[in-house]
Amino acid sequence: MSYIRDDVSAKRKIGMVLTYAVLILFTILAVAPLLWLAINSFKTSQDYQMNRLGFPRRFFWQNYVQAWQRGHFGIYIINSIIYTAVTTIAILVLSFMSGFAFSKINNRNTKWIYGSYVIGILMTLQSIMIPLFIVINQVGLYDTKLGVLIPYIGIGLPMGIYLSTEFMKSIPNALVESARLDGARYFMIFRSIMVPMAAPVGTTLAILQISGTWNEFMLINMLTSSMKNKSLPVGIQSFAGSLSTDYGKLFASLMIGLIPMLIFYIVFRKEITKGVSAGAVKG
Amino acid sequence: MKKVLTVLFVALTICTMVFAQAAAESSKKVQLRVLNYIDMSEPNSANEIAQVWDKFTAEHPEIEIIREDLFNEPFHQKVEAYAAQGQLPDVLYAWPSGRSSTLHTEHLLYDLTPLLQKDGLLDKYNPLCTAPQLGGYLGELPNGVTATSMMFVNNKVLKENGLSVPKTYADLKAMVPVLNKKGIEVITMDCQDGWVMQSCLFSLITGRFGGADWAEKVAAGQMDFEDKWFKDALTVVDNLYKDGIINRNTLSIAYGSGRADFAAGKSAFYIDGDWACASFQTDSSTGEALFKPAAQQTDVDLMNFPALEGEIVHESNSAVVGTGWAIAKDIDPAKLDAAWTLVKYLEGEYVQTWRLTTGAAFPSLLSIDVDKVCKENNLEPLVAKRADWYNRIQVATPVIDGVLDPAVYEVINQVLAEIGLGKKTE
Repeated sequence: MSYIRDDVSAKRKIGMVLTYAVLILFTILAVAPLLWLAINSFKTSQDYQMNRLGFPRRFFWQNYVQAWQRGHFGIYIINSIIYTAVTTIAILVLSFMSGFAFSKINNRNTKWIYGSYVIGILMTLQSIMIPLFIVINQVGLYDTKLGVLIPYIGIGLPMGIYLSTEFMKSIPNALVESARLDGARYFMIFRSIMVPMAAPVGTTLAILQISGTWNEFMLINMLTSSMKNKSLPVGIQSFAGSLSTDYGKLFASLMIGLIPMLIFYIVFRKEITKGVSAGAVKG
Repeated sequence: MKKVLTVLFVALTICTMVFAQAAAESSKKVQLRVLNYIDMSEPNSANEIAQVWDKFTAEHPEIEIIREDLFNEPFHQKVEAYAAQGQLPDVLYAWPSGRSSTLHTEHLLYDLTPLLQKDGLLDKYNPLCTAPQLGGYLGELPNGVTATSMMFVNNKVLKENGLSVPKTYADLKAMVPVLNKKGIEVITMDCQDGWVMQSCLFSLITGRFGGADWAEKVAAGQMDFEDKWFKDALTVVDNLYKDGIINRNTLSIAYGSGRADFAAGKSAFYIDGDWACASFQTDSSTGEALFKPAAQQTDVDLMNFPALEGEIVHESNSAVVGTGWAIAKDIDPAKLDAAWTLVKYLEGEYVQTWRLTTGAAFPSLLSIDVDKVCKENNLEPLVAKRADWYNRIQVATPVIDGVLDPAVYEVINQVLAEIGLGKKTE
């Protein structure tokens, strides 16, 4: 009997060791590039070229100062926060409202209207860039924050509506019907039932939008010309050229762009994990 | 209530007067929209705003510059978007062909020749720089002429191994066993991107076998890529790999990565365009250099690729007119004078001398005495060596991606990569 128990215990131990080994491996795979980036952000470009894997010969803090000043990060970081916050909030609100309407207030036209939104997922940014540039120019929104926000929201909505609608379809109709029988209006049902229940998909959507908008480069470059309206990726890109790259400042600027995202993750990590896992199961 | 209204009225009147005055002052200025290509990745280019643009603004208070600074791909994407919209900036940075093809072929740029003639400047620039460009006229006034095949020599490596600067291909080949025995490569190139071999070496080889006018002859149907001259050029590339002069693993080296290996003595030679010179000089933002000034004097030299058996042109190099400044064809006539003033400044003695001191470009203005500038500014040895190297080039031949259509040169790039991999011989 004790042999069998020992055997089970040994198997369990081996399983634990293997599990931890895999988890440690994935942790290293996730953390190593960040550490490598952080270490190399303190090297001069020349030091990096001569010594790619080692520690800096001298810690060159000036990379951060110069990247911040020459990359105009003081302005760009504020703009990035504005674009990311406004776009994410607008997409969440509009996607949830549309998702609620498409999933719970059906009529015979719903599938056509829904389809017309969702088809936007298939459109590539490259295919609409020049027409978008021309339209934004013609309506006088070129080089304005509004001229950036409207396309950002418009481009993010198809995915937002698709995820929200499909998630809300999984919420039982009986809940909506009972609330209606109790005299609740649609807005109250939306606010008090659908939004709390759809929180997981909201988290997923928020993560997608925040990382997407924070890192977006093509549109912001195309639709703005002055420094006052550009965002972080423009500053970061300025240190990498086709014929040469200022590695030290490039890595420092990447770190500057990464730090707000890391803080965001550290602050909201529980919500993000909960949202992603719940979204994965239900969505 | 009356008091409040009176105060508001007075405040409104004062504000109106102040803003009206400011608007009147502003309207006296000519506003120029400028699309600038700012390369902040190049060492020593960071001071451009203060050294170039702020100085112009101080010297020309009558001109207001609304400048957009872009770089690399984003720059080109934006130019295409502006061209599609028909709203080019008044003054913009441009290439003589290649990446600015749209601007030239659709004649979106102002012809600068009449402006140069009017001011008696036409013969002040290198004649190559004032020749008609892709659109059949002078669309942009170039900073200088770019030689696309600079061969850097690591004297220290040669000396330590009892070798001397090669004069012929055979001399290069003879170095292979000596250097490889010690784990040193003969020539390093960063060939991961297809354009590098084509632009930085194969164009030179093609010129050696085809002559300085091969592109014109090909266009006129007098020469063909099926002919012996072109096959011979491809054979040279094949032999470079087969003879071990260039290692096949250079096809996996990202552009720019080989510079440090060369500086560290891992190869005896490094081939790149003349623009790579600046990356070996001291970076003013860090105070460091791949070759310190003292080492530049003794350890590094610049040479032309050695003589090839069967070449019909000797000591040639592939060269292309450089980038420069252009004026939009549809510029408001009232702004033309201001735009031309700006272009003359940007391609004038002050800015070209400044560019020379940073290592960014060699001047197209003939009046700039490079030796004098080097001495007066105590420039690093590589700048003077570079000037001397240009003087040694006997013939300038075309650069393939500067004269051929992308559909053609992309095939050539592909073939060169396949030769490098050993999948094709010619």
